[in-house]
Formats: sequence, C-alpha cells, structure tokens
Amino acid sequence: MANNDTPISSEEDKKVREELYKQNLELARLYKQVDTLNKQRESLVHLINHKVKGSFTRTKFLFAGMLDGTFGEISSEIRKRAQQGLDFDNGGIQTVDLVLNVANLQNGLIRYDMKNIDLKEILFKTIEEEKPELNAKGLKLEINIADDKYNLTGDAVWLKEAMHNLISNSVKYTKEGKIIIGLEKSAGKILFSVKDTGLGITDEDKQNLFTEGGRGKNSVKVNVDSTGYGLYTVKMIVEAHKGKVWAESGGPGKGAQFYIELPIV
Amino acid sequence: MEAAISQIPIRIIKEQELVIGPLAWDEARKVPGLTVDQSHNSVSLSGDNKDIINRLVAQYERIFGKASHEVCREAVHDIVAQMPAEEVPSSLK
Repeated sequence: MANNDTPISSEEDKKVREELYKQNLELARLYKQVDTLNKQRESLVHLINHKVKGSFTRTKFLFAGMLDGTFGEISSEIRKRAQQGLDFDNGGIQTVDLVLNVANLQNGLIRYDMKNIDLKEILFKTIEEEKPELNAKGLKLEINIADDKYNLTGDAVWLKEAMHNLISNSVKYTKEGKIIIGLEKSAGKILFSVKDTGLGITDEDKQNLFTEGGRGKNSVKVNVDSTGYGLYTVKMIVEAHKGKVWAESGGPGKGAQFYIELPIV
Repeated sequence: MEAAISQIPIRIIKEQELVIGPLAWDEARKVPGLTVDQSHNSVSLSGDNKDIINRLVAQYERIFGKASHEVCREAVHDIVAQMPAEEVPSSLK
C-alpha cells in the first residue's frame, strides 16, 4: 500500500488511472443522458407553447365570440355553456403559462428587471386581485402590515407573481376561516407571510412542496388542477432575489403558513 | 470508403474528450501519422489509415485501460457498420 513517503508503483499508477477513467466515463454517460432529457424537455415545452396553448387560445376566442354576439343570438343555456368553456380555456392557458414560465426561468430566458420597488404597494395590488375569489368563498381577510417603508431591489412583476401564488394557494386550500397576510421588516430583511386556516400540510408533503412538479397528496384532492409548478416557480423567483421561501404547518387540518424573506439590497 | 475511415479518428478523439477532457487531444498528438488541429476540431492522416487508427486506440488503452477501448468502439460503431470488413481497423472489429 502506498503512503506519503513511498512513491506509488507503475502498476498502482495504472490502476488509479484506469479507475479514474471509468468514473469519468460514468459521469460522461450521465451527462449525455441529462443532455438528451433536456433536449426532449425543450422540445416538449416548444410543443406545449405552440400546439396546446394555441388550441386553448383558438377555442377561447370561439367561446368569447359566442358570448359577445359575434355569432348571433344564443340561448341562455348555450350562454352558460360558452361561459364555462371560456373559463376552462382561461384555466388551461394559465396552466400552460405556468409550465412555460418554469421552463424559461430554468433556462435563464427570464431577465429580471431589478429596480427599487415598494413591496407593500405591490402586495396591496396583489391582494386586490385576490379579493373576488376570497369573497366568493366567504373567507375573512386580515392584513398585518407594520407602518414602515418596504423598499428593496427586485423585479416587481415576478415578485408580484410569487406573492400572488402563495395567497392564491392559501385561498384555494382554505374552505372556511381566514387568511392572514403580513409584511414586516427586521435586520435588513423583509418578511412576507400568508397564514391560513386551511388544509394544512403533512410532513411527507412538506418534502415535495417546493420541488418541480411536487404536489401534495391532500392538495390534489382539493385542487384537481394542481400542476405542482406554482411553488417551484415561487422558489426560483425568490432565490433569484437572494431570498428564502419556506412553509410551516401544524399538520393536516391545522392550516399552513408560507413565508418569503427578501434581503433589502 | 476512404471518406468513412477518415472520419473515425476525430469521432474517437471527440468521444474521449467527453470523458477525459483536453487530454484526449494531447494523447492523439502523440500518435505517429496523425496531425491534430484542436482549434478547428480536425485531424489529418498520413500513411496507412488503419494502422494510424489502431495506434490511436492503443494510445488511449495503454493509459486508460480496456474501458477506453470500448469507448472507441462505441464512438464509431455506426461508421464501422457501413464499411467493408476488410477495411475496418482490427482494433475496432
């Protein structure tokens, strides 16, 4: 056996070289597999973009045309069905956009427009957009924002998307009770939080929450349209802002709390 | 089939490059009859093509063992499949 004081023999040297070669070969093969999968995935994303979203968009305009009278008078029953069709199409387009956003974020195709922004102002806009759904479910809303300035350097559009995602999730998974939205500032950081009295998260589901395509077992029962890409998108956006996102829950039926912590740069 | 055999060395070097990096080009440079131009990703052969290819395969095998020989074979199996058996270098049969 060679040690630091004894030069290794040519036989040992050969063995080491051959072993290293085999390890490199294994890595090269894995790299090729990953490369192939990435190309297949890009091709799939391209297909989704052009074919699936295109189909949704075309039928959306057909339904919209029926509703706005482009195709003449329609009965109230047809109007009801056309509205359902339009809603389904809008949902489908939103899902496709979500998947495409993930692909673009992963490929670095999204360029963040980093500016000095007021997170509180963005949050209020987001809350306004969520109110119809919140009211429709009869959920109470509590907003806890300490009087302060919440400015940081970030991309207003994508941070709004991240906050929208978390609030919308809470609304979806809360049958009754309330949603508490908070914003606070401490030690050079801004903490955004959404707490709900909803479904809660099992320990098992916590492991998959922020992973690509990670859907909780319970969440699928409540939200059949869950894609598993929403929280993953949030994670990518928050990490691009050098922040942290996490979730807490006392367990099933005990509600959930989601947090985004962003540095004030 | 002259054109097919001339594609073999560059295919082998590029495949070895995936495993061992730029060292693949350094080792290829040591093979007599093979002139390597890494910046243009090209090589030229002067002499018996089959011998040169056998020497290239042996050069990798001498240093990195049998696994590297298999990598050479796999890298060119589609080219070799279309060549008459008598024109295939013995190391790739």
